[in-house]
Formats: sequence, structure tokens, C-alpha cells
Amino acid sequence: MTVDQMSPVADRPSGRAAASAAGRAPATGRRRLSMTARRHRAFYLFTSPWIIGFLLLTIAPMAYALWLSFTTFDGISPNWKYVGLGNYRELFNDPVTWDALGRAGLFAVTSVPLSIAAGLALAVLVNRPIKARGVFRTLLYLPAVVPPVGAGLAFKLLFDPNSGATNGVMTFFGFEAIGWLADPYVRYVLLMTVLWSAGNVMIISLAGLQDVPRELHEAARIDGASAWRTFRSITVPLLSPVLLFQTVTGMIASVQTIMPMLLAPLQDTSGITTIPQSNYLYMMHVFAQYFALGRYGYASALLWVLFVLILIATGLIFKFTSGVVFYNVDPEAKK
Amino acid sequence: MTATTATTATTAGIPVRVRVRTRRLALYTVLVSVTGLFLGPFGWLVLSGLKTQGELAASPVHWLPDTFQWHNFTDAFTQIDFLGYARNSLIIALLYAALVTLSSAFVGFGFARLDAPGKKVLFGVLLGSMMLPQMVTLLPTYLIFAKLGMVDTYWPWVLWGLASAPYLVFLFRQFFAGLPRELEEAAIVDGCGHTSIFWRIFLPQSWPVLSASFIIAFTWTWGDYIAPQLLLSTDRTTLAVAVMTAYVNEGGTPVPELQAAASVMYVVPILLIFLVAQRGFVAGMSTSGLK
Repeated sequence: MTVDQMSPVADRPSGRAAASAAGRAPATGRRRLSMTARRHRAFYLFTSPWIIGFLLLTIAPMAYALWLSFTTFDGISPNWKYVGLGNYRELFNDPVTWDALGRAGLFAVTSVPLSIAAGLALAVLVNRPIKARGVFRTLLYLPAVVPPVGAGLAFKLLFDPNSGATNGVMTFFGFEAIGWLADPYVRYVLLMTVLWSAGNVMIISLAGLQDVPRELHEAARIDGASAWRTFRSITVPLLSPVLLFQTVTGMIASVQTIMPMLLAPLQDTSGITTIPQSNYLYMMHVFAQYFALGRYGYASALLWVLFVLILIATGLIFKFTSGVVFYNVDPEAKK
Repeated sequence: MTATTATTATTAGIPVRVRVRTRRLALYTVLVSVTGLFLGPFGWLVLSGLKTQGELAASPVHWLPDTFQWHNFTDAFTQIDFLGYARNSLIIALLYAALVTLSSAFVGFGFARLDAPGKKVLFGVLLGSMMLPQMVTLLPTYLIFAKLGMVDTYWPWVLWGLASAPYLVFLFRQFFAGLPRELEEAAIVDGCGHTSIFWRIFLPQSWPVLSASFIIAFTWTWGDYIAPQLLLSTDRTTLAVAVMTAYVNEGGTPVPELQAAASVMYVVPILLIFLVAQRGFVAGMSTSGLK
């Protein structure tokens, strides 16, 4: 699989195991067979929790959703029926779907590159040999472990149009106060909640940065390369597998964020009815159809469309980066 | 970056030591201000928890509380059954973390140390499933759990725990694959089965990963808002949901100062766990980055 390629080490141990098993083969032909059979059985025994769980808790719900997406099922009325592609036809003809999808797309293509750039910049900063860099690393990463509920509330208070610190600072410097939590500004607050947890990208990039061989940087310096040039031509290519991974997981995280719900004015049980228009992303649309309206069939169609779009987007990302991403397979480094 | 290029460009005549010093000063200034910005939102949350309701509604902003309202933090306990919700969160998080850590270790051992036809494909599926948006499967799963009468019980977390998590499986698989082969060879010669090899030899070796996995799974569940919101009723739900929804007066108007105080108390345990267990946590995070 695709992720497998990103990790040159991933396949080695099993390869080695297979090789040594093959090496033993001629000596103990008969015993090996039964041992192999036992190993095979053991493999399936050990992996069975995941296999069964995957079938029951991932494949089955997805299949169930696919079936529901062809019906008018709402959980209440007994005479729901099969409508074929009716739900799909409806969602394609509904401008609300397209608007929500467009907003989700815009959010993905802004939040992902921004948080990767911010995380990478932080990683470069705290990778410098400076005093107390451990403290800086910890403090910069800390927001990333704050649960969404805490983060949402903190940002709601911080950007409160009346009593929030942001407007306080802005009016102090003579700017107009802004209705941050309403249209159209609330989308920037959403973006800032993502940037706030850029520590995630920082930590993972940092691990990658520390793997970049020192000699490469020294050689570049001797050749008279500027800091920016070194960063662009050495650091970024060597980090590219990490950055690719961040892009894909970041995109998927952006699609399923519930932050718009947590930033919405007052939380009620449905929670979705008060989301300002500009934060009404695709997933929020799905939630609204699911829980505010109970349209399980229609919402399932929305989910499947999203699922297919994510698959396509992931495929495209891998396709367009396959020539750019550099896999450093260094036999010396890994022994 | 721009700062450094600027200094090299304009200060060609200045001694190297001064240049290095200004550059270092610039680096610290950037770092300190960025760190300040990053801590700001949480600081503001704490500060909000110490204000009166009037101060929190004041316009323009009332920067500091006139007197620190420490009683907000105790009132937060009495306004709702804070401890009850905290206990629910704790039960679910411990249950899930213990089960998923064990099951993921089990599966990870299978992928690291055993083979069978189809292993490569299965491992590909495992890695691919890490990229499945969980929200997409959660909603239909909710309908199935509702059908099975598991809504408002903790069974969903038991099932999710038993099913192992691809991300943690990968963590264990990487760790087990790195252990020397001699570990199990002697045991195999002695006629030890794979199950006892796992329990007696591999599991005791893996406490760093076990604790990392446990902590990661615990913080996931503690922080999760949407699954308990969907699956549990208002009495049995978790602290995450209660903090978000329960701090309202009879009239339905929110009580922001208590909510802020409560959310500080909800977040701080996670921060403490992170600070104490930082090394394992970060190691887990960066392995997941597939470096």
C-alpha cells in the first residue's frame, strides 16, 4: 500500500523472517511444514481481533450506510422505501450540498498547507541549538493535546465580540471591533484553532529533521548555500515523506472536524442548528441531515459521496507527489 | 529565515560575534512571542474561569477580574454532577485504553512476528484503514448500535477496544519487528506456543509501547466529544459533553464563568498526563508519522 512505500523499514523484518524460514527449509522439510501451518494459524489467530473488528465495525456500517443511501429510512416512519439513486440525485441538485462541499474544500486547502508550514517553521526553530529548547518544544506542543471541547471554548471566549481579548487588543490599537464568531469572520477563527495545534506537525517534522544527516548541512554551508537554499534543497526533500503523510492525514482531519459545532453560539443537543453559514462545512451538513432532520437515508448518501471524494483526493495527492517525494533508503543508517 | 538573510545582507561590516548575537536574540524573540501566542488561548480560559459573569459579559473587555472568583471552580462541581461525569469519562477511557492496548499489542505481534498467505494484503488494508475518516463510519455505526440496544451503555467502547486500533497496531508492530529474532527462537525450540511467547516474552519487553499506547488511547477517549454525545444519555455521558452542554441556568442561558472553570478542570488532567509521560507520548506520535 501507499503508506508502506513511505516507510522503507516497514517491510524489512517480515522479509528477513521469510528469508530465514526459507533458509531452514531444506534441513527439516517435514517438520517445517507443520510448523508453517501452525505459524499461519497463529497469524490469523493473532490478527483476528482486528480482522473481525474491521469487518463488524467498519465494513458492515459502511455497507449498511450504502444500503440506507438508496432508501428513505428515517428511523421512525415504518413505510420507508427503496428509492434507487433518488437520494444521490437530490443531493447533486441541492445547492446547499455544493456550498457545504465548497466550504469544506476551501477549508482543507487553506488549513492543511498553513498548519504544515507553521509546524515546519516551528520545528526548524526549536531544532536550533538554543537554551531551553525542550521547554519551547513542550509548550508549543501543549495546545495540540488540549481536547477539542476545551479548545473550542477557549477560542469562543478569546474571540467573543464584546469581552474577548482579541477585540480588546484590536480596539486598543484603534481598529474596529469585529464580530468574530459570526459570518463571515468565524471561518478565520476556525482556521486559527487548526493553527493552534500546529505542534502536532512540529513534533513529527522534528523527528524527521533530526534524521537529516549533519554532513549534508555542513557540505551545503561549505559550498556557500544560504540558509533558505539549504532548507529548500536539503531539508524539505528529506522531509517530504513526512510532509506527504501530514498532508493526507491533515486533509482527512479537516474533513471530519467538529470544531464548527463547538464554536457555534449555544450548544443544544442537536448543536448544528446554530452554526454560522461560513462554518457550515460538509460534515456539518451531514450531521444536520442525520440528527436535526433524521434523514438517515439521505445523510448516508452524503456520507458515501464524501467517502468516495476522500479516496479520490488521497489518490490524487499520492499521484501528484510520487515524483516529488523522496524516499531516503540509506542502508548504512538502518544497519 | 527572513531575519537572518536580512542581517547577513546589511551587516557585512559588523564583526561575526555581534552578528551571531543579534541573530540569536531575534530567534529568542520570535520563539518567546510565538510561545506566548500559543499559550494565550488557554491562559484566557483560566482567566475567564476566575471572573464574574458581569465581567465576562462586559464590553469593552474587562482584562483582569477585580477579585479572583476562585469559588467558580467549586461552584462548577455543584452546578452539575461534575464528579459523576468525570467518573463516566474515566470509566470509558480506562476501559477503552486497557482493551485497545492489549488487543493492538496482540495484533501487532501477529503482523510483526508471524506470517501467512495474505499477510501483505491485510497489512495494506490495515494501513489504508488508518486513513478512513472515522466520522464516516461512526454515523452508521451509531444506527447499528441503536438497533442492537447498545445506546446508553458502555458496550460500544468495549467493542471498539476489542477491535484494536490500526494506529496502535502499527506502533506495536514497529516495536516488535525491531526485537531480535533470538528472543523467540529458543522458546520455539523448547516447544513454546506463539501465545505463550507473546505473553511471557514479548509483552513484558514492551512496556514503553504499552504505556504510550495506553496514554494515547486514554487521551483520545477523554477528549472525544462526538461519540458520547451520540451514544449516551445526559446522565451517563462524559465530562466532555457535560462541559460543553450542561452549564446552563433553568432558563437555558449559559453560565460561561462556570463553564470556563469546568473546562479548565477537564483539560488539566490531560495536560498533566502529557507533561509526565511526554517522552513516550512524543515517541508514539513520531512513529505514527512514519518517518
